[in-house]
Amino acid sequence: MSKVLATYNVKGGVGKTSAAVNLAYLAAHGGSHALLWDLDPQGASTYLFRVKPKVRGGGRNLVRLKTDVDDVIKGTDYEQLDLLPADFSYRHMDLALDATKRPTSRLSKVIKPLRDEYEWIFLDCPPSISLVSESVFDAADALLVPIIPATLSSRTFEQLTKLVQGGPQVLAFFSMVDGRKTLHREVMEELRSHSSSVLDAWIPASADVERMGARRAVIAEFAPRSRAALAYEELWDEVGRRLEDA
Amino acid sequence: MTLEAAHAALLAHLEAQERPVREIDRTFYDTFDGLLHAGELSVVREGGRLSLIEPGSGAERAGMTSSEPNQPLLAVALASGRLRDALLSVVEHRALLPLVQVCSRVRPLDVVDDEGKTVVRMRLEEPTLVSFNGRDTALRPRLTLAVVRGYDKALTRVRYRLEHELGFRPADQRLVDEAVRAAGRAPAGTSSKIDAALSLRQRADVATAAVLRGLLEVMKANVEGTIADIDSEFLHDYRVAVRRSRAVQKELSGVFPPAGLARFRQEFRWLQAITGDARDLDVYVLEFDHYRAMVPEGMHGDLDPLLGVLRERRLAARRKMVQALQSDRADRLYAQWSSFLGALESAPQEDRPDAARPIGEVSGERIAKVYERMVKMGDAIDGSSPPEDYHDLRKQGKELRYLIELFGAPLYPSEVIKPMVKSLKALQDALGRHQDREVQVATLRSLSHEVSGLPGGTAALMAMGVLVEHLGEDERAARAEFAQHFGEFASESQRELVRDTFG
Repeated sequence: MSKVLATYNVKGGVGKTSAAVNLAYLAAHGGSHALLWDLDPQGASTYLFRVKPKVRGGGRNLVRLKTDVDDVIKGTDYEQLDLLPADFSYRHMDLALDATKRPTSRLSKVIKPLRDEYEWIFLDCPPSISLVSESVFDAADALLVPIIPATLSSRTFEQLTKLVQGGPQVLAFFSMVDGRKTLHREVMEELRSHSSSVLDAWIPASADVERMGARRAVIAEFAPRSRAALAYEELWDEVGRRLEDA
Repeated sequence: MTLEAAHAALLAHLEAQERPVREIDRTFYDTFDGLLHAGELSVVREGGRLSLIEPGSGAERAGMTSSEPNQPLLAVALASGRLRDALLSVVEHRALLPLVQVCSRVRPLDVVDDEGKTVVRMRLEEPTLVSFNGRDTALRPRLTLAVVRGYDKALTRVRYRLEHELGFRPADQRLVDEAVRAAGRAPAGTSSKIDAALSLRQRADVATAAVLRGLLEVMKANVEGTIADIDSEFLHDYRVAVRRSRAVQKELSGVFPPAGLARFRQEFRWLQAITGDARDLDVYVLEFDHYRAMVPEGMHGDLDPLLGVLRERRLAARRKMVQALQSDRADRLYAQWSSFLGALESAPQEDRPDAARPIGEVSGERIAKVYERMVKMGDAIDGSSPPEDYHDLRKQGKELRYLIELFGAPLYPSEVIKPMVKSLKALQDALGRHQDREVQVATLRSLSHEVSGLPGGTAALMAMGVLVEHLGEDERAARAEFAQHFGEFASESQRELVRDTFG
């Protein structure tokens, strides 16, 4: 049986896609069969994997279980790593979900047939609080929450913890960290002291992460020894340990 | 075409991206009897992943991460998931044995689309068979294509261009088969079927000896796996070969010198006896999940102490069996039986009335005779008959089945053999279930004292009580089915067919 991990944050631009793509790559590289579902209509991870952002029948047929999900999955450039691509129609995913019975369990139902095949399923979520995110909370075993260590981040994190209470395990990690900034160090220290859900591993603000968009590849491919690549490896190891402990 | 030329041609004619050269190390698996090969499937361990590979496309049907060293694998022992289910449906109880290890230097060339996206994975590979005795053998270089999920059309296009424009030819054999042949073994594995090219007019003693030699080979081929306890089928196949040999010794006794035969019949009876307990206990352990399913779900765990006792008894029975199989007596038997069979044709014929008669005639007579005997025995069975009557009929049924498989099928038309085997099989299944259930009930009763003394013994006894009841019901159901199956087996049309063909 697979584990479903969702990279999620209410805010955009915090490193969700980078985490989803690089961690899914590491899962596959370790010998597992991994799938990433790009739920964001902007299709950033689909773009990174050079796949056309098109799902026959669109998001509506997918959540109504009218589309055989097997037929729309695409292999990526990386062995063992497949993609369920984004589609522009995902921008209406809320409406599509709302039109179904028990909308919050829909995404679970879509990925159910895939759970035997893939050991890891990653959901790369759009930034929002919506039916889509509620449905993601229902489907996911754990939420991977990137947090930029800024003033309001602890508040956002608390809100999220409340929101998913009783739902998936929350594993937060600091993202786009600038080690030279005192503020970043202080916020990290403070948040870690308040919550055991915050992981030790963190992802630095790095030109390599930004270059992913231009290279359209995972960091391990074009900068395998970079700080960012190593940081994702540490993050993946820690996520694995935390999931085992849970 | 040299490897370099192939590499240059691919780069010149296809939109392909070179990826870094790498070494890959693969271990291929198959069962002793080549079940994967028969289905053109393969199981391979590569880079911490164990995969079942589809024929043709080379795509993974199912897989899992696995860091086990290269040793025999039992599908049933794998973590639950797609790979376990897929393997169980192909190999059931048979262990997957590491066949060959192939180390390759691989130049990956990915065919890309206009977005630079990989749509077909090609690898130019220089494989080497890593020999188990330390010497490596270079295998032929090959180009392999792997489909990228969702891009099947691209694969078809690339394959077409390779074959029609660049002069590549499909390989005449799979890499695993080439490697197995290079290691001096047969990709199809070792079959427990015998292939003794018989003809109707062949001398009966010559044909019989050929069949028995085949059976001896099956026995010898399965001894090692039986002793090593690799999987339960080695012992099963060994015993089937022993039983088939005994049936031939008995039913075709007229081709042998009686004095010599008597001694071998006694020795084969010994072989069957020393392997009996271990096989029975194998079956108990293998079928334990079925037993669990017979008791209410809440009691499933209560049967654990019983399983523990059965496992211990199995190990004890195996120890005894292994000792006997490794004895001089067993080795002598194989050697002497083989030379006895070798000398059969030239032995004096006065006390071997059937020796020089055609095998078609002799085996046909025996098939008709055993069939008639069964019809008579079955006719005499009614609802009040003791279990022994069913058992005796079943034994005859086994002999008939072996005669048909060994002589009937290769010598007589399949339109006669097939319906006969079908009705016999249905009858034997009912008789087998009847007897097995009865024996199982008796075994459970005999174990109750030992189980009751164990921790959890009381709950186990209660669960065993429920189990005994279910087994008893099933025994009665099998008894009730007997009449119908026997009716078909002994129908007027069937009897006529047997008389016309073999009589």
